[in-house]
Amino acid sequence: MLERFGLEKIGIVAAKELRDNLRDRRSTILSMIYPLIGPVVLGMLVLFVGATLSAPKVSEHVVVVQGSAQAPEFVAFVREQGADVVETDLEDIARAVRQGMHPAVLVFPDDYAEAYAQERNVEIQLIIDSSRLSSIMAIGRTVELVNRFNRQIAQSRLAVHGLDPDVASPMSLKSVNVAASLSISGIFLNMMGPFLIFNVFIGGVYLAIDTTAGERERGSLEPLLINPLPRWQLMLGKYLASLAFTALAVLAAVVAYKVIFSGLGLLGVGLKVNPSVGDFALIFLVTVPIQMLAVAVQMIVATVTKSFKETQTYLGLLPLLPSVPGMIMVFVPLQPTTLSMLVPTYGQTILIGQIVRGEGAPLFDLLLSGGSTIAITIVLLFLAARFYNREQVAFAH
Amino acid sequence: MIEVRKLRKTFKDVVAVEDVSFIARDGEVTGLIGPNGAGKTTTLRILYTIMRPDSGVALIDGHDAAREPQEVQRRIGVLPDNRGLYPRLTAREHVRYYGRLHGIAPAELEARIDALVTTLGMEDVADRRAKGFSKGQTLKVALVHQPHNVLLDEPTNGLDVDSSRAVRDMVRRIRDEGRCVLFSSHIMSEVKALCDRIVVMGHGRVVAEGTPDELAEMTGQADLEEIFVTIAREEAELKKKATFEALKEQLDA
Repeated sequence: MLERFGLEKIGIVAAKELRDNLRDRRSTILSMIYPLIGPVVLGMLVLFVGATLSAPKVSEHVVVVQGSAQAPEFVAFVREQGADVVETDLEDIARAVRQGMHPAVLVFPDDYAEAYAQERNVEIQLIIDSSRLSSIMAIGRTVELVNRFNRQIAQSRLAVHGLDPDVASPMSLKSVNVAASLSISGIFLNMMGPFLIFNVFIGGVYLAIDTTAGERERGSLEPLLINPLPRWQLMLGKYLASLAFTALAVLAAVVAYKVIFSGLGLLGVGLKVNPSVGDFALIFLVTVPIQMLAVAVQMIVATVTKSFKETQTYLGLLPLLPSVPGMIMVFVPLQPTTLSMLVPTYGQTILIGQIVRGEGAPLFDLLLSGGSTIAITIVLLFLAARFYNREQVAFAH
Repeated sequence: MIEVRKLRKTFKDVVAVEDVSFIARDGEVTGLIGPNGAGKTTTLRILYTIMRPDSGVALIDGHDAAREPQEVQRRIGVLPDNRGLYPRLTAREHVRYYGRLHGIAPAELEARIDALVTTLGMEDVADRRAKGFSKGQTLKVALVHQPHNVLLDEPTNGLDVDSSRAVRDMVRRIRDEGRCVLFSSHIMSEVKALCDRIVVMGHGRVVAEGTPDELAEMTGQADLEEIFVTIAREEAELKKKATFEALKEQLDA
């Protein structure tokens, strides 16, 4: 097809760069492993943190107590609620809790029974380790049981004294959680966009560096530039080769997300929404314009910097920049506006989030975001071609 | 044919080439000689389209290197001083890449590559990765598109005796085919043995030009080496003076 327009040399350059760099086995394999890091990390987060933060069932809850013989009423109450009570005779409770043997231990003092009988207030201790994230749910449940027991006893005592129990309880608090059922997994799902965009910016970056700054440093750029083809065609050939590698890396990441999400679903710890193959195909398409943009920026940086090392430094920082809005969005979900669709990487972060959460992305937004990013890419490519035309391009300064 | 008229090129404040003019004819070997920093490489780079002159023109078969780079690139074969290879490509693939970029039809190109491999006696290494291509071989690779004009920047630099001789033999063969060869060197004996005409450069200018005999007559010195040494000495003096003045300026400041 390129022949018809006299552009076949672009294809020749791209094919050579692909062949050359595919032979660099180590870099190729590494570039296909990097994209898997995001999905694996996200999968682990869902698996472990998700499991920790999801509340265990009451029937599975065990209250560990020392001195339960002092408080038969409490034990009965807990069992009535469906949880279980276990007596511990450990000497060093603090150590046991710190080591995670028990998430929390309730300690009834020796004078508890007496105080209870006399209707006196008595302090009981709850031994916890607040630095253990995995204990949060168990602690909460134990505290809740103690509070409920407290309330029930107080009410029955007030009733005995002929008082309305409400007198001692001016307010009752009930929190209403309006987050969708995917609240926790939703946070993880929101991270997918920024992760993917990070992949976009590192997927083919070493190729962009190697084919421009690397070629200059090896001294093969000068003879290459003497060949009879316009420099913009040479630049575009290298651009397309880098773009192909970027696309491959992003594709690897997207496939890995699908595999891991489905795998989590099979394990039963899955997310409440499981995006379909079609959703992931759409997500990949959404990243294509950013891939084009990312490689264009990489070509410019690799052309204007003075050395291979300098290029690496700048391009190493580059992936962090577009991830910033996405990272902010993870914690502060902003209302998507038409304007945000025009911002490359930002619009796509929103769109990927919408697709992955199963909300679907409006066609208008898809076109607007893709169109705007591609338009900016074209400007950048013109710029890259101009930089390629400078005579300094051939020489390490 | 290569023609250079009143070429001037500066890098920031440094004048690399000033008012350089000469002609390299077809069927002749023209030597560009001078000490390091005389402007040889810059002149060649302007001719092979990698640099643009501030003023003046560089013509290859009548085409302006600055205005019609592609026309010029089609007509030249170049061996730059600094010529890196792709370590992961084979010799054959190198030739194929350059050949295709020159627009040689694939069938024709493969035939030429086979012929080249045979002439070079490279049958056993042509399909190995390109680590250790010799410079003589590189030169032949650079000429696969059979250019009419051949530009060589210090082609025998760093070569052993046998390889240097192979390069010189090839240069003669190209000339005998009626093509135009322009090559730079700072090795006197080489230039004397090989060149039909010599352009002597010093501090960015052409200081003498002619056949080896004419040059000897002109300077009254039978030995070309002497001309060269004189220029080199002047060059060194100039540099010393410049350094001294810069130092003085700094001290005054």
